[in-house]
Amino acid sequence: MIKIEGLTLRVESFNITNLDIAIDEGGFHFLLGPTGSGKTLILESIMGLHRPKGGKIRVGDREVQHLPPERREISYVPQDLALFPHLTVKENILFGIHARNLNPAAYEDHVRSLIEVMRVDHLLERYPANLSGGEKKRTALLRALAPRPKLLLLDEPLSGLDPSMKIEIQHLLKTLHAAFHPTTLCVTHDFEEAYFLGDEITICIDGKVEQAGRKDDVFLRPRSKKVAQFLGARNLYRATVLRKEEPEQRWILGVNGLHFSVPESSCLHSTEMGKDVDLFIRSEEVMIIRDGKPVKDSLKRNIFDGEIVDIIDKGRYSVIYFQTVEGKIFFEISIPNYAFRNLELSVGKGVKAALREESLWVMT
Amino acid sequence: MSFRYTMMGAAVGLFVFYLGLLLSLLFFVSGGGFWAALTNPYTLFSIQLSLITATAATFFALLIGLPAAYALSRFEFPGKRILDTFLEIPMIISPIALGASLLIFFNTPLGEIIQRKGFFFVFEVPGIVLAQFATIAGLTTRLMKVSLDEISPRYEAVARSLGSSPWKAFSKITLPLALRGLIASVILAWAKALGEFGATVMVAGAMPGKTETMPIAIYTALSSANIEKTVVLILILAVFGLGTLYGARLTGKRYRYD
Repeated sequence: MIKIEGLTLRVESFNITNLDIAIDEGGFHFLLGPTGSGKTLILESIMGLHRPKGGKIRVGDREVQHLPPERREISYVPQDLALFPHLTVKENILFGIHARNLNPAAYEDHVRSLIEVMRVDHLLERYPANLSGGEKKRTALLRALAPRPKLLLLDEPLSGLDPSMKIEIQHLLKTLHAAFHPTTLCVTHDFEEAYFLGDEITICIDGKVEQAGRKDDVFLRPRSKKVAQFLGARNLYRATVLRKEEPEQRWILGVNGLHFSVPESSCLHSTEMGKDVDLFIRSEEVMIIRDGKPVKDSLKRNIFDGEIVDIIDKGRYSVIYFQTVEGKIFFEISIPNYAFRNLELSVGKGVKAALREESLWVMT
Repeated sequence: MSFRYTMMGAAVGLFVFYLGLLLSLLFFVSGGGFWAALTNPYTLFSIQLSLITATAATFFALLIGLPAAYALSRFEFPGKRILDTFLEIPMIISPIALGASLLIFFNTPLGEIIQRKGFFFVFEVPGIVLAQFATIAGLTTRLMKVSLDEISPRYEAVARSLGSSPWKAFSKITLPLALRGLIASVILAWAKALGEFGATVMVAGAMPGKTETMPIAIYTALSSANIEKTVVLILILAVFGLGTLYGARLTGKRYRYD
């Protein structure tokens, strides 16, 4: 178990206050935050490069915040990897075992299985300058894991890779974690990467933890507008609570005269009539209704007439900009390409948009 | 004339200028005179003395310059900028002024105590080493700092996370990576020490057979109109200097960094 409690840092212009992170043994935890929010600084402090102003870093049953980096048993893979250019891949991999004066024979099987999983056996005598981007990433991961660290710190492990290589390394990280269960803390600004790989996520914005928890909780139930915006939420509205429909436990919210029916389970906190709240509508959970097609009961509560004002082809999906007739509210709707083709949509066309129950989330 | 040839013309022009200076020396050299000047005991002494003192001064400059360069390259501490500026002292004030400062220092109470304790510098060989050290220490530190600056501190950070102490991370990672630049810095410093005149003559004087280094011997030979000895010493100094500097450019393996 890794526990970071109340970590407070002040380095140059960065100010991190009371950072709490708990990672279970063998867990894959993501620290998500905007670029330039001090995520690397947090990793470097956990590793021991910066002395925190306050707080504790517990690795297993040891408090390590006062120890130098070499005594923390925390391996670090920086964004630029920092493979030692004057050492071969093999020498890079074995560096930690030699540096910690470990018995190489005791680690032979472990290192061999790492080499197999990482598929670097044919690269062992090469120098880093002669490796591709993906091979470098794999070598750096292997080097970090070879001495069996108590905690593995990864700084943006998928940055600087082309899309196909990114997918390959993403799957490799997943395989690696499934095979060796290293307790891992990874920082990134990319929530898709965190969602794919992580178990738990901590969102840190402006030096403060905004939300932490299981990845689904964080992505489906953001605790603040700030978190929702960071996670890429496009349809965010300031709404007023108009009334409650008691038998069905639903709230009716008003935005510019348009009414939304939201189940109580989609509200972060209990709310009350007359209160102003933030309404978040997930763009990927909004449907365009085809004329003459039957509509499910669950969708009937939130159907809006409107017009398509713009369409942007994003390659794998299309983004529809939809404006309601009543209230003149804009929705951004993401539609997979196959659905987009079937719908025969065009700018200026009048259509109906229906909100799935899952698309609605209310924050106070 | 094209852009490329204009630029290259300037570079070639500089080369021709310096080469012409050296070749013009040969005008005054005759076979027998050259050999006689070269084998003169005082000439041989000044060559030997210059090699020894320049090597000693470079050793001391390396001994203190390397840790100082590392501190300036890697750490933030109060007064760092002032310290960094002071490294330029030998370049800002002339070597004569630097030597005069040393001479004056040995006439202060502290300087006199040092001399009374048996450490003789004024008009002595250690004075030559001290004068050369004073001239090259700042430059050596500055050059070594540049070499260390080129090596990302992240290499050491990773090495430490893998279990290396700061000393081990420095010796196993930073030092091998910066070695080429460090060797070049040391060679450059040695060549500069070898050719040092102003500070040396102020502190150690110009006593043939005792404190007369090659540059001082050139000065005294020319003062007494001994052109052949002057030319011989200049050529030897040029051969040593150019040889070592060219060697510096060939040193070590260049790594490609990420």
